Amino acid sequence: MSAPVALSSEPPKSAGLRALAATLVGGDGVYARRFDNLIMALIAVSLLSVGLETMSALPAWVKTVLRFEELVVVVMFSLEYLLRIIAADNKLAFVFSFYGFVDLLAIAPFFLTGLDTRFLRVLRILRVLRVLKLQRRVLETTVTERTRELAERNSALERAQAQLAEELNVARALQSAILPAAFPVRTGCDGTARMTPATTMGGDFYDFIELPDGRIGIVMADVSGKGVPAAFFMAVSRTSLREQAARYSDPGACLARTNEILCAQNPLDLFVTVFYGILDPVTGVLSYANGGHNPPLVARADGSIDALDGAGGLVLGVMPGVSYPAHSVQLRPDDRLVLYTDGVTEAFNPADEAYGVERLLAEIRTHRAGTTEALVERICSSVTDFAGAAPQSDDITLTALKWAPQ
Amino acid sequence: VKVSVERIEQVTIVIAEGRLDFGAAASFQLQVEQALAAAGKAPAALIIDSTGLEYVSSAGLRVFLLAARNAQRSGLGFAVCSLRQGVREVFELSGFSRVMTVHPDRATALAQLAVPPA
Repeated sequence: MSAPVALSSEPPKSAGLRALAATLVGGDGVYARRFDNLIMALIAVSLLSVGLETMSALPAWVKTVLRFEELVVVVMFSLEYLLRIIAADNKLAFVFSFYGFVDLLAIAPFFLTGLDTRFLRVLRILRVLRVLKLQRRVLETTVTERTRELAERNSALERAQAQLAEELNVARALQSAILPAAFPVRTGCDGTARMTPATTMGGDFYDFIELPDGRIGIVMADVSGKGVPAAFFMAVSRTSLREQAARYSDPGACLARTNEILCAQNPLDLFVTVFYGILDPVTGVLSYANGGHNPPLVARADGSIDALDGAGGLVLGVMPGVSYPAHSVQLRPDDRLVLYTDGVTEAFNPADEAYGVERLLAEIRTHRAGTTEALVERICSSVTDFAGAAPQSDDITLTALKWAPQ
Repeated sequence: VKVSVERIEQVTIVIAEGRLDFGAAASFQLQVEQALAAAGKAPAALIIDSTGLEYVSSAGLRVFLLAARNAQRSGLGFAVCSLRQGVREVFELSGFSRVMTVHPDRATALAQLAVPPA
């Protein structure tokens, strides 16, 4: 471990020089800008003098000034060229690059005229190529400008995205906050519900409603689609359903009325599948109606599992004037009622297979005898295990109920 | 979902294949709308042939609903045909098979919708 420490504490001497060179040529610092402006001014002066020299009758003093000016220009350009080589990460690559040649050509005529005066005129004209040095300046300025603009736009986008994500998080939190945290406390029955929201905001919801007559309303529902529209429609559906549940003792009538309300305020043509049941904790009778939801399952004490009949009613929000027939089932002590959304049975694994009803039935059969909490827990972890690394595309919502009269 | 369109006289047939889930619903909707727009005026009709459709989510069902409504608004005939077992169950469970015409195969659908040229 000591070697790297020693290396970094004693940087090679050239690094300091290179850093100095880098602050003058390249970069966006104040020295680099000043140096750049100086070079720019010299390019302008030198181009002007190239033009002046083409005039024939120049006074002697002008010629002296021009010669002195050329000396200064070449010294500065040579210095710049050297600095650029020093500052370059890959020195050879710079020397052989386009601007490496341009920089060399800008000074070469001066040094070469000393060697052979025959090419003097040609070489002097080559100095016009110094105009190419301007191009670098323009390009560099443009690139710096674009980079800055891009960075600004990126950060604006990031801010907007962070805000959107934050708002979605709040919406999701609100969405799960309106779901009841626990089953109403009633002698003789208990229930557990759980919703695991998908990454994109989904539209599943469940509800337990304490009705005026002492019975308990049980809702399992799934809004078509995802995202903010689905979340809004879910909130409207849930509120309407709750309101109507207090007014109608018949589950079918409650769904029919809720359907009218949803059809009247449904600009996006969304719809919601709703299972609505009313459990009498005294008698164990569950009366229910089904608006297009997959039928809940009743696991009997003898190990058989029945799907509640009466499925196939139209989903809510599609068409007004639909009636929903009410059905009822007598729950027996030790029976378990399992309500779920298709996020359970249509959870996919990486091999693109669906979890399916059979796996759900097997889990219920195995864990039926325990508490409703344990049953929900087991089914959820079985779905999670099955899906593995596959992304969860839909909300996974599950409720288990038990009637156990005193 | 993969979509192709055929035309038999006045009947436009949209053939859907693959999985119609939330992610695919928007593009499927667009293609069905284009097919509807190109179908022409009554007594034209639109059939969505779902022989190759493996899966339909609730967002996918919505596209069928919108197509049926659209067709009805423009006075066109509309039917769905050749649903596979799993998809047919979704149609039955959601009550959709009661609000739109579902035929067991294309021939039946064509026989019901095709209006012989005058």
